[in-house]
Amino acid sequence: MQSHGKILIVDDESSIRRALHNTLHGMGFSVDDASDGETALQFVREEKYDVVLLDINMPGIGGIRACREMRRSLPSLGILMLTVRDTEDDKVAALDAGADDYITKPFNIRELAARIRAAVRRSSASRADPDAVVRIGNVELDPARRLVRKAGEPVHLTPKEFDMLRYLMAHAGLPITHARLLHAVWGPEYGGELEYLRTFVRQLRKKLEDDPAEPAYLLTDSHIGYRFAEAGPVCGSGLVADQCE
Amino acid sequence: MDGKSEAPTGPVAGSVAGGKANSLAGYGKLIESQFRILRGCLAGLAAVALVTFIAFRLNLNLSTSGFLYFLIVVMVAVVWGFWEASVTSLIAVNCLNYFFVPPVLTWRVADPQNWVALATFEITALTVSRLSARAQSQARAEARQRAEVERLYELSRRILFLDRRLTIGPQIVSLIQEIFRTESVALFDAALARVDATGSGANDLEELARSAYFQDSPQQGADTHTRADVLRLGSRPVGAIAIRGSELGRLAIVPIASLAAIALERARSFDKESRAEAAHQTEQLRTAVLDALAHAFKTPLTAIRTASSGLLEAGRLSTDDTELAALIDEQAEHLNRLTTELLQMARIDAAEVRLHRERVPVLTLIEDVLARYCGQLRGRRVEVSDGASQLEVQGDRKILLAALEQFVDNASRYSTPGSPIAVTAEENLGEIVISIHNEGPPIRHADRERIFERFYRAEESRHRAPGTGLGLSIAKKAAEAHGGRTWVVSEADTGTTFYLALPRGSRRQVDAVARQNSDR
Repeated sequence: MQSHGKILIVDDESSIRRALHNTLHGMGFSVDDASDGETALQFVREEKYDVVLLDINMPGIGGIRACREMRRSLPSLGILMLTVRDTEDDKVAALDAGADDYITKPFNIRELAARIRAAVRRSSASRADPDAVVRIGNVELDPARRLVRKAGEPVHLTPKEFDMLRYLMAHAGLPITHARLLHAVWGPEYGGELEYLRTFVRQLRKKLEDDPAEPAYLLTDSHIGYRFAEAGPVCGSGLVADQCE
Repeated sequence: MDGKSEAPTGPVAGSVAGGKANSLAGYGKLIESQFRILRGCLAGLAAVALVTFIAFRLNLNLSTSGFLYFLIVVMVAVVWGFWEASVTSLIAVNCLNYFFVPPVLTWRVADPQNWVALATFEITALTVSRLSARAQSQARAEARQRAEVERLYELSRRILFLDRRLTIGPQIVSLIQEIFRTESVALFDAALARVDATGSGANDLEELARSAYFQDSPQQGADTHTRADVLRLGSRPVGAIAIRGSELGRLAIVPIASLAAIALERARSFDKESRAEAAHQTEQLRTAVLDALAHAFKTPLTAIRTASSGLLEAGRLSTDDTELAALIDEQAEHLNRLTTELLQMARIDAAEVRLHRERVPVLTLIEDVLARYCGQLRGRRVEVSDGASQLEVQGDRKILLAALEQFVDNASRYSTPGSPIAVTAEENLGEIVISIHNEGPPIRHADRERIFERFYRAEESRHRAPGTGLGLSIAKKAAEAHGGRTWVVSEADTGTTFYLALPRGSRRQVDAVARQNSDR
């Protein structure tokens, strides 16, 4: 069977490791597992993985610290955090530590697989040409010429709107925290100005969405941040479903 | 209140005997002071007699013996006081007249000049003794004031070391009693409505303290040694103190009252601090327990769901096997929902103790809930009224979100599939009212109250949609924790509308309403 990617599962619960290992293996991934953060760090130093599934709550150094360490040495590694606590604080902490995405336990394996694929894509996209044209659904963004088209028609964006859209589309399918988006678009001295974001996202939705009240591209992750839909209108697919718990 | 019952029994019990002793002591004091005057007079008399004998034997002249008498009068004035010196001066002037003014050994005065000399002697003696006695009493007053300041200083110092674990009132009164050697002290603490007293005859002192507080002005007791003053922090009266004691200066009660007020306030703020700390610890403990429970339940559920959805995803099962695996998956998800909601319920129960209040824009709240449920609401028209953008509520964002989520979840589950949902928010009679309307079969009249109860599910809904019977009770609890309420209006032709009303008032008002609700 051809491998869809190499995955490292890190969880202190052996039942979860066993279930994930067998299921993901059956879906065509090649899988390793580790029972704590220290072992996981050793594994990623020795082997090349596409995605690490990292439990937040583990004895020892714990998921958040392990995530930070991995991100520091391996910027393009896909990291997906698993959490039991459905609180925004945990999720924001995970994303700020460098995780690409999070998923709340228990999850449907289809949702997990979709996120793993998004993370694999991001890690390969991060090595691609940053000026390549990005096309998602009927939205097209040309970074070199600073042009945006919607269904072939040019859309006029202000420079900040363009920067914001470019950043979100470059990380399509992944949640971007408020703080990270503010840093990337406005600069490192920003971080708490949520009203800026709300205003700009509202403007962008007016220009890009068919129905700004029911966005299909620019999605809100309540109190965490925003994410650009991965492959055209996906609202209601597995990607968002787990937030409806 | 338990004020009196906790008043220190020791000193009060001892006060019956103490009272008698005190009045005896007062009587003794009176005798002692009269005896002191007598002693001064006798000493003056003896000195005058001695000088008269010596001067007469030595044949001293009028002026020399006059100066000797004068010396005696001044010394008596310095040592004993004005009255003793006056008596001595009268005896001295008579001796001077009898023994030294010619013709000697008669009361007669031949030369009118000598009348002048005798009168001058008497007036000068009286004036000098008056002056020296006044200087003397001033020095004594200064000494008393110094002692009083020292006692006040001691009181302020020892008030800092009161035992914070014990009730503060009894400690303050015994401290004042001990340091100022008063007969009795009573302290009225307005916040606790309790009186602490110590010493003899404290009953009328308690009354005096109370009336000082309620009339908000200093009071004078039955005798001159008994006074009461109001305890104030800034201009706010917090209690009153009444003191009986002859050794106490007339104005000493003012600084004592200030110190007592500060001590009461210190104790109160310490109390508040430790209560807040205890609540914080309880909350932390509860959070830790709930987290551990969540972990314990969700771990096996995760393994089950991973396995069941993995089996389904692999697609290698027969039709029957697929059916069974789907059943496991569904039921594991149902169990997960139940667990989530039970834990949420427990968190809201805990949050009643301690809400994390902040200003939450109502529109943000609604947008967040709709974003979370956008999957479930796909294909429906969701309208949000314009009014929402202007409103704000004071509340715990997470708990309010939990309440609205339940309403939106309910609307999407039990409405006609694909029908629109309308969300409105408005301010009405001091309340922020958020409503979520959906079309669909009405809720039976009998069920409209009961659906907000824990685990209650209406007969029809049991067959229509999977649910835990907890959702609406979570919404209700969340509203009540904020001093608000929830209700439903449901008609066959118009559809069903769930309402969440939250008080708009200041935080204090909101808390008061929440307390009333929890008392009910």
